[in-house]
Amino acid sequence: MLRSAAHIRHTVLAASAALLLSGCTAVGPGAPGTPGVPSGTAAQDALLKGAEHRLVVDCLNDQGLSLASRPRAPDEDRTLRAALFGAGPRELSVTLATGATVTAHQDGCLATARHRLYGDQRRWFRAQVIVGNLRAEVQARVRADPAHRAALDRWTRCVTPPDRPRPDRPDPAVATRCGRESGLDEIRARLEAAELVTVRALRRDELTAYRQLRDRALRRAAELPASTHPQKGPTLS
Amino acid sequence: MKRLLVTTAAALFAATAGLALATSAGAAECPSGEFCVWQDSNFGGQRANWSGDDGWWESWISDTDSSWANHGISGPGIKDHVKVYESAWQGGGMTICLAPGQEVGYNGAANDRGDSHIWSTGC
Repeated sequence: MLRSAAHIRHTVLAASAALLLSGCTAVGPGAPGTPGVPSGTAAQDALLKGAEHRLVVDCLNDQGLSLASRPRAPDEDRTLRAALFGAGPRELSVTLATGATVTAHQDGCLATARHRLYGDQRRWFRAQVIVGNLRAEVQARVRADPAHRAALDRWTRCVTPPDRPRPDRPDPAVATRCGRESGLDEIRARLEAAELVTVRALRRDELTAYRQLRDRALRRAAELPASTHPQKGPTLS
Repeated sequence: MKRLLVTTAAALFAATAGLALATSAGAAECPSGEFCVWQDSNFGGQRANWSGDDGWWESWISDTDSSWANHGISGPGIKDHVKVYESAWQGGGMTICLAPGQEVGYNGAANDRGDSHIWSTGC
């Protein structure tokens, strides 16, 4: 009875995790009704990635650089990295609730490509970093929960053989049994589901921004001409 | 498949001595196409770098990681995002997901916690 209840919880958790995994994209219909914008998430991802890649390749070609020529000498690779990822100060920065400060350069071909697709580079960077790390934020909250800490202590005692130090890698079968017997599996599943709801509410604004900017980028990607070189005019600030 | 290169700080310095000032303010010293992890914050100390997945980092870098950089190259269908986990074989929860070009110089929470990573098409 207990085991089947735990199993159901795991199923619920798996479903929640799947939702969260696709959470980057499962936040809206995605540029509905725009010609050339596919409806499926995978196809949309492919469209965005393909468009970004074309913009990056053209940008690098303008500087006489190419992603194709490998291997590269260290100096050549350094030149390519500066052109691709940017150089100088890291203008883009977001500190996550987990404590990590994620940074990136605002110049470089990758940043320029994203600026053309998503429009507002700073807003997109913030939304992408936060939404992309919702799962990490959930995990950090679960780890900080006293019930989880207590269960983890029980699990550690369970996998540690008598008179021996705690193993670096417990036998998988023992680890599984201890996950059940310590209550860690059940507590983790319950906390993850609850924290997921909390985190999605906390990051509602970023989820909305993520969806809006992604929809914009999908439209731009679908309309991207064969030549992606910037037209004359204030396309980039 | 797995490629792990260990670069000592001394070797790194020797290779980049002429550019030390220029690179310190630029992108982290991490080859294109690779995910790099440093023992010290702000991309210092010994560095591990991988072009593929690693389900269980070698002992000198596992749980001693302090800064990270994803210099993966994007392309259609290419796994260019990196997910870092706090246990071997992607267990114990993801601590960070980085898109190409993203770097983390320090993380109070995930510092010295990484044990494995995988490349992924997204976060």
